[in-house]
Amino acid sequence: MQFAKYIGRKVLWYLAALIVALLLNFILPRLVPGNPVDAIVSNMSRGGGATGEQMKAVYNNYMQQFGLDKPMWEQFLIYLSNLAHGNLGTSFAQYPASVNKLVGQALPWSIAIQLPAILVGWIVGNLLGAVAAFRGGWFDRGAFVGSLFASSMPYYCLAILLLYIVGVKLGVLPISGAYSFGLSPEPTLAFFGDAITYWWLPFWSLVIVFVGGQAVGMRSMSIYELGADYVNYGRGLGLRDNRIVRYIFRNAMLPQVTGLALSIGGIVGGALITELVFSYPGIGTTLFNAISQNDYPVIQAITLIITVAVLAANFLVEIAYGLIDPRIRAAQTGDR
Amino acid sequence: MTRLLEATHLTAAYQTGGVEVRAVDDVSVHIDEGEVLGVAGESGCGKSTLGAILSLTARAPLYVESGTLVIDGQSQDLAVGSRIPRTWRGSVVSLLPQGAMNSISPTLRVRTLVYDVMRAHNARISKNEALDRARDRLKELELPVRVLDAYPHQLSGGMKQRVVTIISTLLNPRLLIADEPTSALDVSSQKALIDMLKQMLEQKIMSGVVFVTHDLPVLRTVSDRIAVMYAGKIAEIGPAEEIATGPKHPYSAALLNSVLVPEPAFRKKRVRGIPGSPPNLANPPAGCRFHPRCGLVMPDCRTKEPPHVGDELTFSACFWSAQHPGEAVPADKAVPRHIDDPTELDLPAAGATPAHAATTEGANA
Amino acid sequence: MKAINFTPRFWVAASLILFVLVVGVLGPFIVRTDPNAVIGGLYDAPSMNKLAMWLGTDNEGQSVLANLVNGIRTSLLVGLLAGIIAMVIGLIIGLVAGFQGGVVSDILMGITNIVLAIPSIVVVILLSVALNGRNAVILGFVIGITSWPWTARAVQAQSTSIRVREHIDVARLSGARWISILLWDILPYLLSYVAMAFVLQVSGAILTESALSMLGLGPSGETSLGTMLYWALAWGSVRTGAWWAFLPPTIMLTLVAFSLLLLQSSLDEVFNPRLRRGKLRKRPRGAATPVPAVASPQTLGSSPLIEAPGRAGRTAGASSSTVRDGGVA
Repeated sequence: MQFAKYIGRKVLWYLAALIVALLLNFILPRLVPGNPVDAIVSNMSRGGGATGEQMKAVYNNYMQQFGLDKPMWEQFLIYLSNLAHGNLGTSFAQYPASVNKLVGQALPWSIAIQLPAILVGWIVGNLLGAVAAFRGGWFDRGAFVGSLFASSMPYYCLAILLLYIVGVKLGVLPISGAYSFGLSPEPTLAFFGDAITYWWLPFWSLVIVFVGGQAVGMRSMSIYELGADYVNYGRGLGLRDNRIVRYIFRNAMLPQVTGLALSIGGIVGGALITELVFSYPGIGTTLFNAISQNDYPVIQAITLIITVAVLAANFLVEIAYGLIDPRIRAAQTGDR
Repeated sequence: MTRLLEATHLTAAYQTGGVEVRAVDDVSVHIDEGEVLGVAGESGCGKSTLGAILSLTARAPLYVESGTLVIDGQSQDLAVGSRIPRTWRGSVVSLLPQGAMNSISPTLRVRTLVYDVMRAHNARISKNEALDRARDRLKELELPVRVLDAYPHQLSGGMKQRVVTIISTLLNPRLLIADEPTSALDVSSQKALIDMLKQMLEQKIMSGVVFVTHDLPVLRTVSDRIAVMYAGKIAEIGPAEEIATGPKHPYSAALLNSVLVPEPAFRKKRVRGIPGSPPNLANPPAGCRFHPRCGLVMPDCRTKEPPHVGDELTFSACFWSAQHPGEAVPADKAVPRHIDDPTELDLPAAGATPAHAATTEGANA
Repeated sequence: MKAINFTPRFWVAASLILFVLVVGVLGPFIVRTDPNAVIGGLYDAPSMNKLAMWLGTDNEGQSVLANLVNGIRTSLLVGLLAGIIAMVIGLIIGLVAGFQGGVVSDILMGITNIVLAIPSIVVVILLSVALNGRNAVILGFVIGITSWPWTARAVQAQSTSIRVREHIDVARLSGARWISILLWDILPYLLSYVAMAFVLQVSGAILTESALSMLGLGPSGETSLGTMLYWALAWGSVRTGAWWAFLPPTIMLTLVAFSLLLLQSSLDEVFNPRLRRGKLRKRPRGAATPVPAVASPQTLGSSPLIEAPGRAGRTAGASSSTVRDGGVA
């Protein structure tokens, strides 16, 4: 079948992209002048406390783990094989914590603020954009400029403003962290009730930007569709307005659905700075700490996870799009 | 013959940025049962706007200022603000657009639109009933039934146009308004479509057709009567053969002169464009709107509205016709060799190179 | 050539941008204080006594105003540099791929699609980590060489469609060399698009720079809007209410991003008049289809390998009509 060929071609493209991403991820941190293990071990020894024997053990452990004494291609194979086993390595800065554990702790927090923000922002933004396009006039004008402003505002700037106005000036919501000091994450109502007060600010700072972006896109798609010939023809055939609106919506929605899937794919790296602003213990904060401590395994792991999530989302979107939109299917498979 | 439709005093304007452009100005048309009325004219003459008014699909920035439609004894005011029953569209009058455009939403299968159209006029109809009706119609007209399952992009241009025609006539409308349905088609698809329309008329699927096109040869083969529009008004209306062979309005004559006709009798005729271009409708010329380009212009033409010479089915709006009742316009005199007053034209260079300045759309087709 | 009809939106955007430019270019000459000079204590409140103190001091006792005008200059430099690099690479690859066709095109677009699929923030982070001694110019390069694929792909798509137009054949038959066809017959059609893409690239690059700086990967030893925010956050200016340390860079960044986006959308209106509401021409049938705004390159990893589906289909549909039953007006 033609469609299988289409999927096959896409699989090949994404595999190529994945390999390039892996290579970049592998090579770039190794370009840092000097041997990163030397640097980190000398760092540790300067901190004091560790004996020569311990240092030697740590050094050997790292050299073996990264195979830094071996040729590059062999190092790359080791890297790949570690990844294939789901092993992201050991942190330099928080030795001997595994990177898997560090990332595993941070990821849920990132998802917790982003997934709801993306979904709510997407639904509200699309409704707003569609209504603005259909109603026109002052509502449209206001909604458009507002949305344009919201979407063009760097998301971390909005985060800073919200933090200052709501958190510091009004003092109604906590300003830092994800839960109160002294609590530890556990599935109880008390913890949840506490965590949600920390969750509101990052959530709002993201939702407002998302709503703006989606509304701007949906509005221009809808305006474009409103002028389409099928709208006029549908009226000429006596179709009800809501039926025609449904046609318009269907066509205008397709690119928006793509946007939703891609935002979800970008969830890992989508709000790095927001987390920094609110000291939220997600991936962004973890990355920040890793960068300041030259913790290359953690940096590499995070960039890799971001890449893989984005590639996977893109891939799924393309497959879904091929299924949903008959025009794409036709264009891709050469069917008339 | 019984009267199918009387549309009287149709006036409609485009309102854009404070400028009002009256694209149809006090036009009345009458159509008999079983008749095809062709509407011809250069681009911008208002023929498509007339189509939009008659098919009840005028929408912003086009506003209908006045007009009444009487069809089967039912009268409907068309002016902005009057409530036009939604179900009139599609079942009383129906629009047949140019199918090469995205007339069917690109993500919709043909059968979905078919069912939606049937449902819009009969809430209780089941999907199967609706599709059966469409299948019967397709079979009657010798089209493959499988087009129902297709998406619009899967149909060829000619097939898409025929499918759109069938959808437009699903509900047996009294009057079909066809707006340039043949314009994007090759000659054989044009013929197939025209044959299909004639067959539908014979089967009384619809009782009348208004056929809007700039393509005069097509119009001649399809129409019983032809209305020639110029600058928002009907210049001349009459039986197709009469218009084609003996036009009584200088503009009709000029328009015909600008078209190549592949028939022996016309082979010797010289093809000439019409010098100048249609007037700016935001500020139309006084009197007869054709007078700046007319070869038979007389003083009255510049100041007074021309009289309608004839009856409501056949007339010519022209002072020359009034003076020469029943006579055809001498073809070589319809337009001037040299224009006496080039300042009245939109194109200053028009007088210098009349043949190229404004070839009509008909010549391009 | 007819005069371009600028909308009020354009003038608003242009004046905002002019304002930012003036502050960034002339500011450092007016505020003569060295941004690295210590002129006060930790977070001294603003006072009107001295120009350098108008916005108080930052965590190191330096003048915020001096840092701000210099920071704007650095950020603009990074943005322009990255924008130019991205545009040049994108134009060259897109034009060659679109004009050459065949294997060359396949290879170039293959590379483009792969680079497009990998989120650019990831590459930027990795590159910045690998580079020691980052400064504004290096950051501009890094951001520029990671953000060209958008332009490349759009230019390729457009030049492919222009290539098959008649006037190109005429030029070719009249013996024009391909480079002159490229420059004189294809490039002019792309200018409107390239201008809009460039505006977005610049704004995207400025935001990327500040995001990098806030992650701790900013230029070392230089002040940019991002590094100002980095220090302001690190030293808790938000929490302590020292608004003068973080509000000015935040507002400037927002202003830059908003005005550039506004400029892009107003250019879009100028180039595609159909986007203007309420000014629709009569039955715009044969009219060129407005491709909705340029896809934003600053969105983290959006739709790389997807061939802008709905839009492509519609453009083809609308231009297939030979009939122009054009405006009465």
